[in-house]
Amino acid sequence: MNAVSKRSKWLMSIIFAIIGFMVAIQFQTASSEPELRDTRDQWEVRQELQEQQKLQQELLEQITSADRILEEYDEVSDEEKLETLKGSIEQLEQQAGLTTVEGSGITIKLAPIFQEWEEDAPAYPTVSTSLLTHLINELNTFGAEGIAVGEERVVSLSPIRNVNGDTYVNNRPMQPLPVEIKVLTSNPKKMLDYVNASRSRDMFALDDISMDVQTEKNLKLPGYDDNLQLGILEHDSSKETGEN
Amino acid sequence: MWLPIAFLLVGIILGLLTDIRVPDAYTDYLTIAVLAAFDTLLGGIRAQLEKKFDDIVFLTGFFSNVALAALLAFLGVQLGIDLYLAAVFAFGVRLFQNIAIIRRHLISNLRTSNKLKKNTEK
Repeated sequence: MNAVSKRSKWLMSIIFAIIGFMVAIQFQTASSEPELRDTRDQWEVRQELQEQQKLQQELLEQITSADRILEEYDEVSDEEKLETLKGSIEQLEQQAGLTTVEGSGITIKLAPIFQEWEEDAPAYPTVSTSLLTHLINELNTFGAEGIAVGEERVVSLSPIRNVNGDTYVNNRPMQPLPVEIKVLTSNPKKMLDYVNASRSRDMFALDDISMDVQTEKNLKLPGYDDNLQLGILEHDSSKETGEN
Repeated sequence: MWLPIAFLLVGIILGLLTDIRVPDAYTDYLTIAVLAAFDTLLGGIRAQLEKKFDDIVFLTGFFSNVALAALLAFLGVQLGIDLYLAAVFAFGVRLFQNIAIIRRHLISNLRTSNKLKKNTEK
């Protein structure tokens, strides 16, 4: 040890310090996973809380109504049980769109715009499937409770297809323009504003179709009268869901 | 001999206190640098025991080993080959060799000191 000069001793010490520093950092990097920090501020937390409370409220309401139905099953005679069952079926059919429904809503009238100065414009505009699908998706996002294209009720299983250039809804050809789309909603005014503000209007205009939207107090939607083909559906037991 | 150990402790404490974390992308480099540092350290101890210690060699060995290891890792990343594994392997082998040699030296030192003691007792 005596052979080691003072200078090299200090050099060694500094290198040892560097090594120690590196080892410590390596240890820290290896041993610590970055913790997930909650960076929401009070306002966001409050909003989240409110959402959860709303959800809880809805769930409670569902539980109450399910309990009521159960009670009705339990306490009454067979005949009344049948009534309750029928009521349930009716309700479900209504939800699935199998029945005729009435109520307030809006109508969207699609009509051709004729622009004679355009030479290569199609002679008579047709509604393309993608456009119609887009519109229906949009209406559903806006909170439509029921939609009918012409006299075809659109349910969740309704196909919209292009068959040899024609647009088919529910496996039947859509009537040529003008077509009226009826949308059932509890708040027609709001739906009207939504539709007026949406980009669909521009997209239809590009296809030489005009959209005329009006609110309607009494709207009657026809029921979906084909068979619901549910053979392709599979029960997913991993996701336990209640009613709705 | 105590000064380097004290400094080692100071370095470790500093490292723990600063709370620095290396981003995930660079952990390979640090791993290899630490390995190189360990290798140099043990090499230095071995050279000391063999009475061949040279501070310039030690110093340059430390920095060039760390730099070369990092370079190798960088090259590996660029080429898509895990070249840093080669460095890990090389350093690992050398670590064990150095440890073995240090052990032998320590044992032989112990034996000679015992013999000396016995001789003086006689």
